[in-house]
Amino acid sequence: MTKAKPRFSRKLLAIPYGLFLAVFVVIPLFIIIYYAFTDDAGKFTFEYVRVFFNESGKGFWGFFTSYNFKTIMQSLFISLMSTVICLLIAYPVAYIIAKCKLKNKSVLLLLFIVPMWVNFVLRINALKELFVWIGIYNKSDTWNIVNTIIGMVYDFLPFMILPIYTTIIKIDKSYLEAAKDLGATPARAFIKVTLPLSKAGIMSGVSMVFLPSMTNYVVSNYLTFRNVKIIGKLIDDYFTGDLWHDGSFIALVLLLFMFLVTWLTGGFSPDEQTDTRGTSLW
Amino acid sequence: METMNKTSNKNIIELIDVCKEFDGVSVVEKMNLYVRKGEFVTFLGPSGCGKTTTLRMIAGFEMPTGGKILLNGEDISNLPPNKRPVNTVFQKYALFPHLNVFENVAFGLKLKRIETTVIDKKGNEKIKYTKLPKAVIEEKVRKALEIVDLVGFEKRSISTLSGGQQQRIAIARAIVNEPEILLLDEPLGALDLKMRKEMQLELKAMHKRLGITFIYVTHDQEEVLTMSDTIVVMSDGTIQQIGTPEMIYNEPKNTFVADFIGESNIFTGVMPKDGLVRFCGKPFTCLDSGFEKDEPVDVVVRPEDVQITSPEEGKLKGKVTSVIFKGIHYQILVQCGRYEIEIQSTVAPEVGATVGLCVQPDGIHVMRKIFRVNKFTGVITKRNTVEFGDGEYDCDVTQLYPGSYLDEEGYLITAKGEKLDLTDTEVNVEVGLHDITMSDNLDEGCAAQGNIISLIYKSEYYRYIVRTENEEDYVLACEDLWNENDLVSLIIPKDKIRLTLKDTEGSKK
Repeated sequence: MTKAKPRFSRKLLAIPYGLFLAVFVVIPLFIIIYYAFTDDAGKFTFEYVRVFFNESGKGFWGFFTSYNFKTIMQSLFISLMSTVICLLIAYPVAYIIAKCKLKNKSVLLLLFIVPMWVNFVLRINALKELFVWIGIYNKSDTWNIVNTIIGMVYDFLPFMILPIYTTIIKIDKSYLEAAKDLGATPARAFIKVTLPLSKAGIMSGVSMVFLPSMTNYVVSNYLTFRNVKIIGKLIDDYFTGDLWHDGSFIALVLLLFMFLVTWLTGGFSPDEQTDTRGTSLW
Repeated sequence: METMNKTSNKNIIELIDVCKEFDGVSVVEKMNLYVRKGEFVTFLGPSGCGKTTTLRMIAGFEMPTGGKILLNGEDISNLPPNKRPVNTVFQKYALFPHLNVFENVAFGLKLKRIETTVIDKKGNEKIKYTKLPKAVIEEKVRKALEIVDLVGFEKRSISTLSGGQQQRIAIARAIVNEPEILLLDEPLGALDLKMRKEMQLELKAMHKRLGITFIYVTHDQEEVLTMSDTIVVMSDGTIQQIGTPEMIYNEPKNTFVADFIGESNIFTGVMPKDGLVRFCGKPFTCLDSGFEKDEPVDVVVRPEDVQITSPEEGKLKGKVTSVIFKGIHYQILVQCGRYEIEIQSTVAPEVGATVGLCVQPDGIHVMRKIFRVNKFTGVITKRNTVEFGDGEYDCDVTQLYPGSYLDEEGYLITAKGEKLDLTDTEVNVEVGLHDITMSDNLDEGCAAQGNIISLIYKSEYYRYIVRTENEEDYVLACEDLWNENDLVSLIIPKDKIRLTLKDTEGSKK
């Protein structure tokens, strides 16, 4: 009888990733939770939950008129609008590039991605200068919101185009032929077949635009002379003001939003088409 | 189409001179065909022969680049697929993955609008389009699922179905629309052998029950013989033969058809007179007639038509080289001199035994040789060589004018003493089948080079077709075995190139 040699198991390859996840994801998450529910002395407390919901001192209902609530709502609105506008621009672009008969589609696609190679602080600054030149920079509160949305759309558009493009290009031509064969006009075939089959790409794009645009306060800071606040800025304010416990709790609230959005866009379901999430160009 | 049976005499679809080119490459050439209402027609051919393209033109996915397609006498060549009363069962089914079984089958019905004329309040006639009522859709879907034997699967998602079940759903999705023609594009290709056999019989039964026209595309010759009323054998974008399965099998029109359908021994022979054919060095009585005296012919003998006898009784004598058990019969190879003959028999002789072989007259099928000589159009160059078929060859230009000779400067002096410059003269070039040799040395001067695109074993030799880059075909015979797709250069000796002057109105090839 020979003894089996201790063999290099493929499972061992997972160790670096496991370590990475633990050190950079799981442990920080617990630190945030720890800070959110302890006071300076390290004792467990709901103090910061209370502070968050009762910031103005008018009791629970006062929360809905509080500064925190307004900031979150404003942030949600900006994210929502940015996502919708991105989708409306990105879908036709992705569709046209995917369906065009050009041999070198990736060149066309590159045109939309190349701006990402330029540092985004520079790009946002340039956009700011453009707004100043047109005369809409910091003109009013409404313009500030509009400018933030424009900035977000400008910044995140490629993240919407790429996943949609990858799903559309992968749709088997025979599905469309089958739809037409069964009597669908090109428009009906699009609505009944192409659109539902590109859902995975849309969902992936939505979560890739919606979530970052809640926290990307560089855009709102630069484009509105720091007059528009989004959740990301709120957290930043607390941390820079040494209010770690308050900041941690808001970070948890944000986490909840992220979780909700991911759940709603089907990010947790074991869908066969989720591979489109990873198959973008990067 | 010379079909038998109960199909009606009405032509449901007609193809008139239909051509299709993709980027200048011709895929279907001048196709003429008609299909009768209720017929089960199969397009058969190797991959790339244009059969799927033809089907796609009937479905409307491809528009013909020439010719017309008539449906019930009306030109539908440029009608989009959604306006044709034709439904397709796709090769990979193309079932919609985001819909369940019911939604897939009901897809076409939900898109259907019934045209009704209503009289509105003012008394004007108006055409109204209404959707099919839900109950009607449900009933029709149920019936279609009944036909394919999948009732109860309505709520299942497509990805949970097996290949065979998906196949049935694809058929149900097509027939539920009650098309006039059902097109099937190699629908059984993805199924395993047992499943395929079952589905073949089921499709055949379905065709009988539904009474609609089936047009079926396949490269599987066995499938074809089982199911079709009429077979259309295609190769290289042209129809080789149209006929019933029996006709195609028993009376193949040419060696391509014989080789493609069933196993066959193909010999080269001559017809000394009607009812007598000479091949393998022996005369055989046959039933064919109508050939010129001593016309070279191809002779096809099916392996099951060869009988093994004692060496004394047999017309041919040979040595058994191999016996393979194939289930219902043995496949036996007998070497008779330089001819190798394949035989199918239920009794097997021993390997190495000497046996006699004979063939009954009705087992011999004689057909005209298609390729007896290669014909090209060529041009004489400055060096008095000839350029044709993607190559340049040394040749004897004096054969163009009897009694002529070349002077030192390369001018041709005719028998009458005229001095001719032959540069750029167009000529007809003929090269015999056996006069071309292949070489794998690709540096043979200016000889044409090409890939072997077809080979057929003819007992004495292999017949090759070599196609050059610019789609010039050379047909040649060679005793050695080369592989399909081999790149070869073609060597033609100077004295084997026959040149004739091109007539002013001469044909192109």
